[in-house]
Amino acid sequence: METIFKVENLNLYYGAKQALKSLNLDIRKHHVTALIGPSGCGKSTFLRCLNRMNDLIEGCRIEGKVMMDNENIFDRQVNVVELRTKVGMVFQKPNPFPMSIFDNIAYGPRCQGIKNKKLLSEIVERSLKQAALWDEVHDRLHESAMALSGGQQQRLCIARTIAMEPEVILMDEPTSALDPIATAKIEELIEELKQEYTIVIVTHSMQQASRVSDDTAFFLLGEIVEFNTTQDIFQNPADKRTEDYITGRFG
Amino acid sequence: MKKCNIRKSDMALNGITYLASLLCELILLSVFVFTFSKGSSLINWDLLKNDYWSKNYIVESSADHNTASQYEKPDDLSHEAYFSRRWGIALVDHVSHEKEKQVLIEYIDPKSPFASVVDGSAGQNKGKELNLQVGMRLEKIDFEDQNGTAGITGTILSENAETVVKNLDQTAETLTSAYVKTAGGGIRGSIIATGYLILVSLLIALPIGIAAAIYLNEYATKNRVNQLIRTGIEMLTGVPSIIYGLMGVTVLFPITKAFGATTTNVLLGGITMSIILLPTIIRATEEALLVVPQNLRDASLALGANQSQTIFKIILPCAVPGILSGVLLSIGRVIGESAALIYTMGTFISDAPTLLTQGTSMAVHIWSIMSGEQPNFELASAISIILLIFVFLLNIGVKWISRRLQKEWH
Repeated sequence: METIFKVENLNLYYGAKQALKSLNLDIRKHHVTALIGPSGCGKSTFLRCLNRMNDLIEGCRIEGKVMMDNENIFDRQVNVVELRTKVGMVFQKPNPFPMSIFDNIAYGPRCQGIKNKKLLSEIVERSLKQAALWDEVHDRLHESAMALSGGQQQRLCIARTIAMEPEVILMDEPTSALDPIATAKIEELIEELKQEYTIVIVTHSMQQASRVSDDTAFFLLGEIVEFNTTQDIFQNPADKRTEDYITGRFG
Repeated sequence: MKKCNIRKSDMALNGITYLASLLCELILLSVFVFTFSKGSSLINWDLLKNDYWSKNYIVESSADHNTASQYEKPDDLSHEAYFSRRWGIALVDHVSHEKEKQVLIEYIDPKSPFASVVDGSAGQNKGKELNLQVGMRLEKIDFEDQNGTAGITGTILSENAETVVKNLDQTAETLTSAYVKTAGGGIRGSIIATGYLILVSLLIALPIGIAAAIYLNEYATKNRVNQLIRTGIEMLTGVPSIIYGLMGVTVLFPITKAFGATTTNVLLGGITMSIILLPTIIRATEEALLVVPQNLRDASLALGANQSQTIFKIILPCAVPGILSGVLLSIGRVIGESAALIYTMGTFISDAPTLLTQGTSMAVHIWSIMSGEQPNFELASAISIILLIFVFLLNIGVKWISRRLQKEWH
C-alpha cells in the first residue's frame, strides 16, 4: 500500500505549550483518513501541519518530520507555496472569495500564472463537474459566489481546491456548518474524490468518520491514542479511551 | 430613606447625560441657524460661478451708432427695472453684499448704441468690440446733450437707476463712453482651487497611505521598530495643522520651486495637505484591512497563492469600501483646513488659480474676506453654508459605505 505522508515523531508547540506530542502515522494514498477526537485535542493543528498553514501563527514551533515524496515538508528548501498547490485545504466555514464563481475557481490557477482564457474555462468546468456543482451553476458562472447556498459554497471551495490538481485535500470539519442534506452531498463527493485524491478529514461526527473514511486516528490531548482502519477502530477498538469516546461516554 | 437617595442621584446623573446630549444638538442646530440666517440670501448660482474680483471696463460708443432713437420696452421686463425708451437699455437698483448701492444692467436692446460699444481701455484690446452683459454694474455714462455740452450720469454721482434712466431719456443725445464693472463677489476661483487641492493631496497621500497601511497590517511583524513606526503615525494625527503649514512653506517649498513656482502656491498646499491626510488614510485603510476575514487569507494561501497575491488580489479589493470612506473623510479634511493653507497657498483670492500660483480654498476664502478692514459676514456665511452642505454629504457617504461594508461580511 502506497503512503503519501509519513509522519515521524511530530511535536508542535505554541509558545511553551505543547499542542502535539510525538505523533507517528502513515497516511495512505487515495484513501480517506479521518481525524477524530474531542475539541482542542490537536486534530486541526495536525491537519494544518500538512500544508504548513501553521507557519502563519506566531510562536508556533515544530519538531519532527512529515515526509512527502521522500522530502521533509518542513525542510528549509521546500517551497511552501508549491507545497500548498500539492496539498489543498477546505475549511470549516465555507469561505468563497467575494467575486464571481468563475473567478473563485480560476483564482488558484491564475496565481500560478495561467492566463489562457480557454484553458481557464476548461479548468473551471472540470473542477465544477468533479465537485458536482456544474449542473447547478453552469448558467451563472459570472454571478457572485456569495449568492450561493452554504452547501453550494462549500462545494465551490472544494472545486476551487480541485482546480489546483492537488495530490491531497485536507478538510477541516467541512460539514459542520451545513445542514444534513448538504452534508450528505459532500460525503458523496468525498467518496467520488478519493479515486483521484488523498483526503484527510477532521470531523466531530462519529457517523461521518465511519461512513466516509478508510482509516481513523483518534486524538486525545495532543496525542494519537489509536490509529487503525476505520473498521477496526469502530468495531473493536484496542484502547479503552477510544471505545469510551466512540460510544459517546465522553467528549 | 437610603433607597430614595440612590434614586435621586440616579436621576441627577441621568439628567446630566440628557442635558449634555441636548446641548450638543443645540450647538449643531445653532451653527446651522446662524450660517443659514446670515448667508442664505446670498446663495445662488451666481455666487458659485462668478469671479471674486470685478473687472473694470471703459467702453466707447462706435462713431456711426451713438445717437438716441426709439425702442420698444420688452414685455417680460421686471417691475423693478427702469427702461430708457430712447436708448434701449433697462437698469435696476441693487445692493451688494458689501452694502454698496449699485445699478445693474437688466436688458439691452440689440439695436441700442449700448449693444455696439468698443473697448476703450488702454491696451491691446482697445477698439475691439465688447459686449455689455446683463448683470454688469453701470458706474458712469458720459454723453453730450443737444447743444453738444458734455454731461455724466451714474452711480458715481450716487444716482439710482431711475435717475440715470431719466437723465438718459431727457438730456442725452449722443453717447460718448461708459464705465462698467463685472459683477464679482463669486467664489468660482476658490472652488477650482479647492478641487485642485483635493486632487493633488489625494494623488500623493492615497498611494503612500495605502501602501503604509498594508505594510503595517500585513507584512510587519511585531517588533520594536514597527511599534515605533505605528506610534509615530498615530502622533502625526495630533500635530497641529499650523505646524504642518510652517513646515510646508519652509521645507517643502523647494519642491514646488523646482517645478517653477515663485510664490506660495496651490501645489504646495496640496503637498502639505497630503501629509496631513496620511494618518487619516492609513488609519482608515488599516481598519478596512482588519475587518477582512482571516478565513479569506487562509483560503487564498491554501490555494498556493503567495502573500502579495493574497494581499493585492483578495484583501485589498475587499478593503476598497473602507478605503473609500477614508477618502471621503480626507476630502472633508481638505475642504475644512485653513491654518496650514494660509501659509502654503497664500490668502490672495485668485479667480483663475493654477497649480503653481496662489489661490485660496473655500475655507481660506472665508478667512480672507473676514480678515480685511470690512469683514464680510454675509459672504462668509454663504460660503460656510456651501462647506457645511458638502461636509454633510460626505458624512452621509461615509455612513452609507460603512453600512454596506458591514452588510457584506455579516
